[in-house]
Amino acid sequence: MRRDYYDSAAKPRVFDDIFTALWEYRDLLVLLVKRDLTARYRRSFLGLLWSLLNPILTSFVLWLVFVHIFRAKLEENTQFAPYLLSGVLVISFFVLGFNQAADSIANGAGIIQKIYVPPQVFAFSSAIVSAINFIFGLIPLVAVSLLTGQALALTLPLCIVFIFFMSCFIVGLGLVTAILYIRFDDSRYIISVILSLLSYLTPVFYPIGILSDRVRYLVMFNPLTSYLDIFRSLFLGIGHPGYLQWLYMAGTSIIFLLLGIRTFSKAWARTVVMM
Amino acid sequence: MKREIVRLENISVTYTVRHANSRSLKDLAIKSITTKKSDVQIKALNNLSLTLSSGEVVVVVGSNGAGKSTLLKVLARVLPPSTGRVIVDGTISPMIQLGAGFNYELTGRENIALYGVLLGYSRSEIESAMSEIVDWSELSDFIHLPLRTYSSGMIARLAFAIATHRPSDLILIDELLSVGDQGFQEKSQERINQLMASGACIVLVTHDPTAARHHGTRGIWINGGNLVLDSDIHTVLEKYSHA
Repeated sequence: MRRDYYDSAAKPRVFDDIFTALWEYRDLLVLLVKRDLTARYRRSFLGLLWSLLNPILTSFVLWLVFVHIFRAKLEENTQFAPYLLSGVLVISFFVLGFNQAADSIANGAGIIQKIYVPPQVFAFSSAIVSAINFIFGLIPLVAVSLLTGQALALTLPLCIVFIFFMSCFIVGLGLVTAILYIRFDDSRYIISVILSLLSYLTPVFYPIGILSDRVRYLVMFNPLTSYLDIFRSLFLGIGHPGYLQWLYMAGTSIIFLLLGIRTFSKAWARTVVMM
Repeated sequence: MKREIVRLENISVTYTVRHANSRSLKDLAIKSITTKKSDVQIKALNNLSLTLSSGEVVVVVGSNGAGKSTLLKVLARVLPPSTGRVIVDGTISPMIQLGAGFNYELTGRENIALYGVLLGYSRSEIESAMSEIVDWSELSDFIHLPLRTYSSGMIARLAFAIATHRPSDLILIDELLSVGDQGFQEKSQERINQLMASGACIVLVTHDPTAARHHGTRGIWINGGNLVLDSDIHTVLEKYSHA
């Protein structure tokens, strides 16, 4: 596929085309990521500080509320503060990334309606930006772990695998939702309810051991639980996620990514005329 | 040598204009029960066939809502046709709205890079064109400042400088623009003349008959999405002015 040849009747090969397009538009991808990071961090020193401070403050509030209830219920060798902060970081990686990816297409309308760009590039750049933010957020996590005497795991560099799967998951879900947002103005409210439900069904601040069997099944069914368990075990050595959880993370990530790309390609031509 | 750049085969574009309250899931649910149809279909282009070649300056005329902008969007690849086939063989410069994609927090320099890459430059190409673009736009004193500090004239100059820096095979222009103060207008006029003579295929939408007569070689008159007349520029302008 040559970038300077356009045939609207060419049979689209969905997955081929999107990965070729990503490669051809890699320079744009880099500049979009740079643009978003610059917009966030240049305006003020507080921009950078805030993205580090925000999860700490959220965690601090949760810590105050729950420390006496849950501390005793945690496994051995697990400090509550890093347990909590790692949960908050993973959930905000997902929620912020997903929201940005879902909005990225509508926000890019000013460009998309004037200059040809594969619109999916915007969703990919949102996911990359949220991954970079997440990596910044690991600095306070290291600090809190050291302060509370929580040992860091030797598997820490493998967190990159978790970041990769989470980013793919975000792109896939974001692409489907982007179509929904453009087509149906009220889909936003439903999605935000689902998001907060998913967050509460993830063991961010409670230990999974305190749940009744029925609720525990529900929590384990939530893919984000597997993502979080795996991150905690890779970074802090907390818990022992089995290969089923690894499979669940990789599976949901790749399946939703492919599903998102496919749905988006099929629906885009009918959606673009509604923007 | 003339080369075919654009081929449109029976292009139609249909916009779905939803009933004001029907862009919601709630109404979708209600509609699926009651089978009440409230969407309105608007045909912006109707069964249009054309071929355009290099070296042609094609002026598109027609009243407001005739489908001129829709035609430009189809050519720019941003709007896929509902039926029919479009083939564009070559690079495209969409000068439909200059500065689409400018970010006001980024500096002038960073915006040149972003806009250039959007227009099809690679990052290394735009870096090596950078100093020429900055010099030509006469904005070197401001180039490290964020775009929000620029006046609207300066922003227009910057966008124009980037968009016209390098000719493409197909150039799409929505209203000829001369930007900046008087001295700069002459300079940009000269740029436009260069583009017109560059041998590219140019599609120009304009309501200015003088500019159309001056630059155009071929005229296309559309009305209500239908092709009314496709002929040399003088015939089309003559007939159109009497319509």
